Amino acid sequence: MIYFQVNEKCNGCLACVQNCPARALESREAGGIQTLLHNMARCARCATCWRVCPQHAIEFQHMLQNRWDEVVAHELVRCAVCGEIVHTVRLTEGLDAKVRNMAQPLCSHHKMEQQAGIQAGRQRPSQGVAS
Amino acid sequence: MIVGDLKSLKEIASSITGYRKVMVLGCGGCVTVCRSGGDAEAHDLARQLSHPEHHKGFPPDFVVDTIERQCENDLLKSYLKIPEDAEAILSLACGAGVQIVADAFEPLPVIPALTTTFMGGADEPGVWREKCRGCGDCLLACTAGICPISLCAKRLLNGPCGGSRSGCCEVSADIPCAWARIYTRLEKQDRLYLMDEHRAPRDWRKAGHRGPRERRRTGIELTYGER
Repeated sequence: MIYFQVNEKCNGCLACVQNCPARALESREAGGIQTLLHNMARCARCATCWRVCPQHAIEFQHMLQNRWDEVVAHELVRCAVCGEIVHTVRLTEGLDAKVRNMAQPLCSHHKMEQQAGIQAGRQRPSQGVAS
Repeated sequence: MIVGDLKSLKEIASSITGYRKVMVLGCGGCVTVCRSGGDAEAHDLARQLSHPEHHKGFPPDFVVDTIERQCENDLLKSYLKIPEDAEAILSLACGAGVQIVADAFEPLPVIPALTTTFMGGADEPGVWREKCRGCGDCLLACTAGICPISLCAKRLLNGPCGGSRSGCCEVSADIPCAWARIYTRLEKQDRLYLMDEHRAPRDWRKAGHRGPRERRRTGIELTYGER
């Protein structure tokens, strides 16, 4: 998703590049083409570009309201009894072996039930991993 | 935002006398937006300071960098790379940023290139005005969103002084009387009864008169990972 967007009114005057206080806009020319570039990490989102654009070409609303970017996806571990999300598979892998064995795929409610069962001398509930 | 003004070139040049290599450090936060201490100003300052006319001997070598916020100690320590041969940092941040950089990289000298002027906002493009003094006991709810602590020269709490004339402050006819503005806006809001409320003298200890203030939010330290 591109945050900094211009509409069809942009004529490449580069007023935005010249006035950006954060130097977050840049123009590159190659092969007879001028390309406008934006660096979100540098951008202070001060809207100076939007103010100075003589063409009213900058669609600044995308800098204020935008979609969520997917960053990373992790496989989930769910409670073996009720299916509630407990943690990620990756999180379990990061634990040392001794703790990992204790990290059973149970939600807090069923873990408490299990503890109560152990104390009462009953059989432990079945365990499993669901993604 | 925090607004700052660049010190004079003469003063800045004098403060870096004797250093052979200086890192000019812009801040990507407030001072970028108010056009006094961002990346563009940092490069511009280094270029100007490189001119021999500002120095008795040879000008120092300058290296320029900008970090998003100089007021975050852990961010600085993790991501700011200072050249090994840099003998000082010339910071274009506000006073808070300068101090946090100085703490983070002690004993490297950190020199301010700006004077921090006020907390304010842009009323119009290119014009920033003081709006808040951080008094620690906000009363904007009773004053129609106009702060008499920062906008009244006398910081009056219970209406204008005798020097208010035709909506202007006695300090200057160019300065609107804060209480005249408050009255006018409360009238528009049909809340003039707020003018009748008596506000007792303030506890200025909340404004920092008892020493530096601190805000602690418990739990944060537990959620921050060690770096």
